[in-house]
Parts: sequence; structure tokens; C-alpha cells
Amino acid sequence: MSVATFLSDSIAVAENEFRQFRRNRSAILISLVVLPLFFTVSLGAGQGGTGTTFSPTANIPIGFVDNDNSVASLRLWQTLTSSPDFHNLVQSYDEQAAIAELGTKRIYAVIVVPKGFQSDLENGNQARVILYTDDSEPGVSDQIQSTLTSYVQNFDPNAEVQPHLSQLQRQSVAGVGIITKGAVFAGFNIGLTTVLAIVQIFAGFYEIAGGISREREDGTYARLMVSPIPIGSIVLGKTMFDVLLTLIRTFTVLGISVYGYGAKPNTDLFTLLALSLIVALVTMGIGFVAASLKLGQRAVVIIEFFLILFLFAFSGLIIDINLLVGASQIVGSLLPFTYAFDALKRTILLGRPLLSLTFDLEYLIGSILASYAIALVLLHISRERLIR
Amino acid sequence: MKSFVRDTVAITEKELKQLRRDPVSLILTIMFPILLIGIFIVIVSAFSATTHNVPVVVADLDGTPASNALLNELTKSRFIHVTQLVQTEDQAYQAVANAQAIGAIIIPQGFGAALATGNAFVIVSTDNSKLTSSTFVSAAVNQGAQDLVNQVSLEGGVNFGLKLAPIEVITRPLSGRPPSGDPILPGFLGMIAILGGFDDIVNAISRERERGTFPRLTLSPVSLFAVYSGKMFATVVLTILRTALMLVIFSLYGLVIRGSLILIFLTTILIAVFTLSLGLTMSTRIRGSATLTVLEIAMTFPLFTLAGTTNSPLLLAPGGRAIADSLPWTYGNDALRRLIYLGAGLNAIAGDLIILLVSSLILMPIAISLSKRTM
Repeated sequence: MSVATFLSDSIAVAENEFRQFRRNRSAILISLVVLPLFFTVSLGAGQGGTGTTFSPTANIPIGFVDNDNSVASLRLWQTLTSSPDFHNLVQSYDEQAAIAELGTKRIYAVIVVPKGFQSDLENGNQARVILYTDDSEPGVSDQIQSTLTSYVQNFDPNAEVQPHLSQLQRQSVAGVGIITKGAVFAGFNIGLTTVLAIVQIFAGFYEIAGGISREREDGTYARLMVSPIPIGSIVLGKTMFDVLLTLIRTFTVLGISVYGYGAKPNTDLFTLLALSLIVALVTMGIGFVAASLKLGQRAVVIIEFFLILFLFAFSGLIIDINLLVGASQIVGSLLPFTYAFDALKRTILLGRPLLSLTFDLEYLIGSILASYAIALVLLHISRERLIR
Repeated sequence: MKSFVRDTVAITEKELKQLRRDPVSLILTIMFPILLIGIFIVIVSAFSATTHNVPVVVADLDGTPASNALLNELTKSRFIHVTQLVQTEDQAYQAVANAQAIGAIIIPQGFGAALATGNAFVIVSTDNSKLTSSTFVSAAVNQGAQDLVNQVSLEGGVNFGLKLAPIEVITRPLSGRPPSGDPILPGFLGMIAILGGFDDIVNAISRERERGTFPRLTLSPVSLFAVYSGKMFATVVLTILRTALMLVIFSLYGLVIRGSLILIFLTTILIAVFTLSLGLTMSTRIRGSATLTVLEIAMTFPLFTLAGTTNSPLLLAPGGRAIADSLPWTYGNDALRRLIYLGAGLNAIAGDLIILLVSSLILMPIAISLSKRTM
């Protein structure tokens, strides 16, 4: 078979895919509008964009009980209330009553300045502040504790007005300054790396594996397989179709992230498109393998759900792979998506040139080739069985 | 009324019978909790591991006893692993740029002398694309510096111009439990109720439509209200089973459940019923079971963040918090946390339960009315 025939068959398959796609309004909506929009907007709303500078603790209602009633405790109160991190500090006079309010959602923490606070400071002893927290709210206790600690560890009871400290100064230990260097990411850049990959994985897998399963359930898949079109053309045609959808989705996600949430990727459009395509091709390869296993549509959707959950845990989305423990680190290091996320972070966040990420690219391209080869063999076997 | 109850029970029985005959759905009902907990264990064990080996390079440009002491503290850290000692600042930065290390720690020239006047500093450069590891590097350097300060302060006669932090913060959590990842477990129970509710609606309506059995059901001498009630009761039964399975897993994991079990079951049932009501409304517009499942799964992932499953909605940006406040699931997850973790009573969670109930009561008639229109 000549290359021209092979290509014309592939284009015919791609055209058929587009025709079917065009006729399915809900598929268009889900693939090109709902998925990119839903993931980007929900993550953007949660993290905040460039225009949103917010302190997580600023609006959390926190009680403040001053049992010392001294100049030092008053200065601590003033320091906290005038800071951008504690806008909702409520003064209370009864420690037990304030603690009893915890768990009722009226307040989420109580800062208690015990008696002897000022005298400890005057005598050169380390004074104490007690923080009662509603630890049923995940993350809130740690956040309040670390913010409060950053203020009190640099607190000067002798100063009427505390000097304004930068975030870095607040992180420093008394006596040894710690100057932190490293890229600081603008706006929604971190969110962009996550959304770009997840949207392509979510949509790509369903379009390939789900599409073939739907054809199988409709009975058109068998007809396609017994047609004189080679398996390679079918796979290439479906890939071409999904590549175009991937590009549209990439532009949608980028548009919302950049114009809606102020993301400023540290890389060029070509790199973004190339990486997006690579992620999609890895997913499509796995999708073809899943499709060759004769799964039903429902099973495909379920596998998709588990795949995404799996990626959240193992591929560096929530926690860096080098922090994973034991076998989970080995699992993570085998997943091609781990390298895809790594490449996305290094380009979008750090501005590394794509071609400098040789290992990531080699692993990803190797995974694409391997998954497509496996899928071709499996599809070929399934066609042989069908013909026989 | 009697016939309504009888019809409802008949539909419930039919739903449960169908589930029993569908191995994929049956496995799914069991797999969701186990998989979610598995992922939780992977993440929590990574965060709570007592040691990490985050690779760092150190450039000691001072070479004094003081800088050696700091280097010694850094090598003792449980979180970082000093992989290389480099000669220059540039080499250290280059190691981070080339991904050979996640952090570079530079002890500048004059560190020892500056320590004597209390003006010492160290430079920490991190690969911030490694979002969690970079924080471990900063924390390790902070701890190393603090240990150095403590060490020299304790050594009699040597002052070095250093001082301890003037105030210590002592944290006392309301639950009295040691800090752990456990507070997110109740949110996972909420997610199971949500995922289960969505899965039930796909089984209950969309697949019946695809098989053509739904019109037959509605044409039978059973009221549409009884059909929906029956499907809802099937969800209630399944939610009770899923909740029981999750609570068993929690107990095996070592989580002490403080609240009333009846209230926990009631909360998960209300979460599932609200999810079912929403799913019913959506299913009137989206006919394909696979399409509906994809859409519902796509909706579920953002809920991990927005409905307070993994993190409190209090910590979200204002926009996200507004979305979280408008989602009834947020109140369900909140109620579960306070029930399971704090042992709160009915009066503490009544408001949350009312929000879930009212939301379901609003959505269910809308779903039935839209469903009638599509027939």
C-alpha cells in the first residue's frame, strides 16, 4: 500500500470522526466547552488569579483573649489587627467562653495571651501564646499557626509600632536571616500546568477509548474493522481528529487562564501547544490500548475516573514524586504523565526551553510509541478474530 | 397512600436487583471507597513520613567553625539530603537549574563573623516547580538555623549576639488529636456519597432510557412520583452500605469516630439524595449514560477543592469561597467533619442538614416536572 492511499484512508477516517462529532451536540459541548471551562474556572476561583491577592487567614474569625492586660499584650493585639493577615480578630474577655465557641463555626481559633506574658519578656524569658484551634477544618489550624508564628517570632515588645516585615523577613529565624531565592510564579501559572494536562487527559481518553466503545456498541466498529482500511489508518485518522480537538481545548484553557486569571506562562505558545499535544498523544495511546480490550462505554468512563485519581496520587500533581514513599515512588516514576507534568512545570513555571528537557521528552515519546505499538498489535489481533 | 408505599418498595427492590445483576456497578460501589482511601494513604504517608531525602547542594563560602556547625545541622536534617558540597555560588545555582538538586544552600563569606553580631544570613535557592519539596528545603534550613541558634545560646559564655524567638506559640487543637491527615477523611466519606449518588442516577434513569425500559416503567400503573421515590430509596439503601463500608475502613485505619453513627448516616443520605436530585435534573437534558457519567465525573473533581474535601473552604480565594458557600455539598462535608472528628451533636449540624434537605426538596420537583415534559 502506498503512503498516499494510507494517508487518504486516514483522512477519510478523520473526516468521519468530525462528521459524527459535529452531529453530537452534547459531545461538542462537553469536549470543547464544559471540560476546559469547568476545570479552569473552578481551579481559578479556588486559587485566585493575578488581581486577587488574599491572605487565607485574613477573613477567618479568630478570638483573642488577653489575660495579661499589659502593654506588651496590647501591642501584640495591635500588631495582629493592623496586619493584612488577621482582619477578623474578635476580642473576648472570657477564655472558657471563647474556647466553647470553637466548633460552632462562629470562630475557628482562639489566641490566648496568658498572665505573665509581659514579665516573661521583660525578664528575657521566652513568653508564650496559646492557640486553640478548630482542627476539624483541614489546613486551617496549620495556616493560622504558621501565620501567627511568623508575627510573634519577630515581635518586639519595646516597639510601639512594629516594623513592617516582608514575607521573607517573617520566615527568618531570629539571629540568622534566610534569604530565599527561586522563581515566584505569577497569577494562575501553577493552576495552568495542572488544568492543561488534566483537561487533555480527561477529554482525550474519553474521545478515543469512549469513541471506539460507542462504535462497538452501535455496531459500526465491526464494519470499520472489516473494511479494507488498514488499522494504522484508522488509528492515525482518529488521532488526527483528536489532535485538532486538543489544539482547540489548549487555546480555550490558555485563553481563560491568561485573560481570566492572569496566568503568565514563562514559555512560548509553540512549547505550550507541543507539550499539550504530547500529553494528549500519551493519553490517546493509552486510550487505544484500553479500546482494544473491548471495554464498554461505562467501563471506559470508570477507568478514566480511576486513571485521573491515580495520577493525582502518583504523578506529582499533589505531592512531588521524590516525596512519595516506597513502592508508590516506583509507580510514580514509571508513569509517563509524571514526566509530562514535570515538563509542563519546567517550561510554564521556570521558562526552560522544551528541548533542554531531554529525559522527559525521551520518556514521553517512548511511551507514545510503545502504547501505539501495543494498541496496533491488539487491534490487529481483534480484527483477525473478527474476520475469522 | 398504601399503594404509593407498595409501588415505591417495588421500585426499590427492582433497582437493587438490577445492581446485583450488574457486576461492573457492584464492583464500582465497593471500589470507590477503597480506591479513595488508598489514594489518601499514599498522599498522607508521603506528607507524614518521618524522613525525606530531598536533594540539596551546599556552598560553604565561609569555611569557619560557625558555618561548619550550620552545615552539620543541615546534614542532620530528616528532610533534606546534602548530595554535594560545591565551591561557588554559581555552581550551587547551576545544580538547581540542571535539576540535579531541588535546593541550593549558600553560606556566604563572613557568616561566622556576622553571627557574632546577630546579622548572619544564608541564601536558599529552590526549584519552586517542585511545589512540595521546595517547602521542605526551606523548612529544613529554617530548622537548621534555629538549632544553630539554640546550640550557641546553650553553650555557656558564647553569646554570638543571637537571641531566641521572643514568643513561642503553643497550639492546642480542639479535638485533642495529634496533627495528622485524618481531618480530610470525613470529606472523603462525603465524596463517596456524592460519587455514589451520581452513579445511582446513571443506573436509575439514563441506562433505563438507553435500554428503552424507562418509558415502559412510566407507562405502567405506577405514579411517576413513586418511580422516583423508589429510585431514591434504592440510593438511600446503597448509601447506607457505602457509608458502613467507609466507616469500617476508617476504623481499620485507626480513626476514632466520635459523633453519633445515626447522624453520620443521616448526613451521607442527605448528601446522596441531593446529588441524586441534581443528577435527575441533569438527566432530563442529557440522555446518554456515558455522557452523563463523564459530565458528573468532571463535576466531581473540582468538588475535591471547592466543597471542602481536602482543604477547608475557609482557605480558598474569595471567588472560590463564594462558590463553596453556594454548594450544598460543602455543608454536608462540614457536618461530617464536625460529627466524626469533633463529636458534634444534632444542634451543631442542624443548619447544614437543613440546607441539604431544602436543596433536595427544591430540585426534586424540578426534576420530576422536567422529566414529565420530556416524555
